[in-house]
Amino acid sequence: MIKHRNLPFFLLIIISTLVFSACNNNAEKTNGFIKTLVFGPGDEDKIMEAFLSIKDSTKIEFKEGRYNFNRLSINQGKNIVLSGAGPEKTVFDFSAQTQGGEGIRITDVIGFTISGIRLQDSKGDLIKLNKCTDVVIDNVHALWHVADSTSGGYAIYPVMCKNVLIDHSYAEGASDAGIYVGQTQGAVVRNCKATKNVAGCEIENTSDAQVYDNEFYNNTAGFLVFDLPGLSQRGGNTKAYNNFLHDNNLRNFAKSGSFGTSWGVGNAAPGSGIIILATSNVELYSNRIINNNSSAIAIASGLTVDDKAMEKINPAYFPISRNINIHDNVMEMGQSFPQEAYTHHMGQMLVSVEQKLAQQDPTRKNTRIPFILYDGVTTNIMNNGTVPNPDSICIKQEGVNIFVNADIININSKNWHPNTDIKPYTCQ
Amino acid sequence: MKKSVNYLLVLVLCTTSLVMQLQSCKNSPEQQQTAKNSGFEFKARLSEYGFFTGVLKELHPSARLINYDLASPLFSDYSVKDRFIWLPLGQTMKYVSDGLLDFPDSTIIIKNFAYQNKNHERIMLETRLLVKDPAGKSWKVMTYLWNKEQTDAEKFIIGKKIPIELLDSKGQLVTTNYQVPNTNDCKSCHVNTSKLTPIGPKARNLNFTRNGESINQLELWASTGQLTALPPVSRITRMPDFQDSVNYSLDQRARAYLDINCAHCHTRGGDAYNTGLFLEFEQNDPNYLGIMKSPVSAGGGAGGMNFDIVPGHAKTSILAYRMNSAEPGTAMPELGRSLIHHEGVDLVVDWINAMKPLKK
Repeated sequence: MIKHRNLPFFLLIIISTLVFSACNNNAEKTNGFIKTLVFGPGDEDKIMEAFLSIKDSTKIEFKEGRYNFNRLSINQGKNIVLSGAGPEKTVFDFSAQTQGGEGIRITDVIGFTISGIRLQDSKGDLIKLNKCTDVVIDNVHALWHVADSTSGGYAIYPVMCKNVLIDHSYAEGASDAGIYVGQTQGAVVRNCKATKNVAGCEIENTSDAQVYDNEFYNNTAGFLVFDLPGLSQRGGNTKAYNNFLHDNNLRNFAKSGSFGTSWGVGNAAPGSGIIILATSNVELYSNRIINNNSSAIAIASGLTVDDKAMEKINPAYFPISRNINIHDNVMEMGQSFPQEAYTHHMGQMLVSVEQKLAQQDPTRKNTRIPFILYDGVTTNIMNNGTVPNPDSICIKQEGVNIFVNADIININSKNWHPNTDIKPYTCQ
Repeated sequence: MKKSVNYLLVLVLCTTSLVMQLQSCKNSPEQQQTAKNSGFEFKARLSEYGFFTGVLKELHPSARLINYDLASPLFSDYSVKDRFIWLPLGQTMKYVSDGLLDFPDSTIIIKNFAYQNKNHERIMLETRLLVKDPAGKSWKVMTYLWNKEQTDAEKFIIGKKIPIELLDSKGQLVTTNYQVPNTNDCKSCHVNTSKLTPIGPKARNLNFTRNGESINQLELWASTGQLTALPPVSRITRMPDFQDSVNYSLDQRARAYLDINCAHCHTRGGDAYNTGLFLEFEQNDPNYLGIMKSPVSAGGGAGGMNFDIVPGHAKTSILAYRMNSAEPGTAMPELGRSLIHHEGVDLVVDWINAMKPLKK
């Protein structure tokens, strides 16, 4: 009788258990996403499997702790979120990587967010996002503990993407660029920090990028806007403002033995604040560019780094920088070039410019190289023109010793004559 | 009596709640989605497909299975590969161009990987399936990992490192960690413009007579009715066998090698589209081929060199350098090998060195 009386309750328990386990795995819950998965340290294999079989609209939460991964990847999907407990708390370590070019690779995902995670010490890049749309990288720290040529190329690396936001993130130790946005349409980099990289942040062949409220310091070069030839799209339309670029005087440790010709970031002289190379429609304003002791801002053409640049002109590449608008920045420079500039091919060029200016005008004897260096290669060389400032380089900056046209094309000839006259370049 | 009614009531309530909960479970968006996408489902074990007859590891093809070879195969750590095409009953492949054959829905392409151990025994590693799913007309991938007993292979999605001792092409014993790819690794090589596609079975790469056969592989399939619309094979491009230095020039052999080993990624729409280095057999633009081309995103992988190919100077060419490395971050291809393919490196080194140096 007692048995009989308890049967319904017994059944109820069994049924509830069945239902619960059938559709409510305790690691899964719903909150706006179709599926939320929660993992902790020790779950590495399960995490890998979850990445590989990920469904649209999945959120994966990573508890506090250290995770050791060989490499991770997500290929194709929509609305995917990876979220950790914070970059100091959730750490993905890739030092055991044995194959592949990056720690995390995200390919072909529409709607991807990663936040609150530290990524460290992969063999190649730390996080690469290839062909993704609507990407948010928020509060992610990506770093190598050793900053030398053994580090991977890029810490945070969206390429061929659309609509990328990199916010409140930190990159350290990259042998190319800490934050690198390549061949992308629409990118915002803001509230980020990058240090001990060759380039703090690099916007390459990317259109419509905005870079603001960042701090790039103690890199070889703080911030680069580049176009390279032979790629899928042309860059341009970049705005950089309210950034604090300081003390970028680190040696250039990009792995380039001969430091020769056209290889991108190997060309950045130690001591560079901002470099604009072979691109167009760039506006730089309200930045504080302090103690980058080779040049605060350099504007260069592809010809300065590649003597075949003119042969590579096509709809996706034009080697001469055009429509550059620089105004209202605060610029200061230290007393001398960083020691590393003297052994770098571009650095040596800048040193020569300073010396040549002092030689041309003895009153400049103890004056530093002007803040803004323009290589002086203009579209005039394509048609033997003589128009002053044919490429709309426009500068509005208070103060003295602002500008030099370095006349780089003639640097090895008797006719070399760097010129500090800013008038043709003063905004109308 | 009253008590029994109560029991009954509770029971009814329980059952109702069970049904309701199961119902809501069934109707969850995820369930709906799975139902919508339902198409081909991979079986748990290789043996369940019935591809082979007799002892599974001997890979005796059943009557419907077409065993084939490629003129120039992809290098995967000196593994020994067997390739098969499983056609749905009564269906045929169709020739469309010298590129991929047109496969009917539900085709399964099967590739088995094994290695030779020091006793010259053949040890099975993994079997990869590429299935043309009739739902969505898209290809799907799966890897099956062979068990220790070598009796069957099981579905395996997360990839695995397997320490092995194998004999290379020269009969040398080599130790390595063979890397079974995970399903995303499969995709990185097989995806072009967001679509999964087969790589090997292109007409031009099938257009030859296999060892031990008397008739061209494509003509054989046409004669058995498995391949339709085949033009005279003399009109189809013939991919060189990269090892055949009697019938093909150094340039043809190197280009064939680069095509099969690199061009699935290094092509427009491929995984390495962003690099601007395109290595398809038909590519003629020197810059896209890497001649005096600066790397874009090689990072340290460039090994301190400035150009992918410096004509006449393999030693300062990034292409040869990366092929000659097994270090992650440097090694190319990035996936699919843990060893250096010495024959491939030698071929590409000879090819670069034979190029006329550029005038200064």
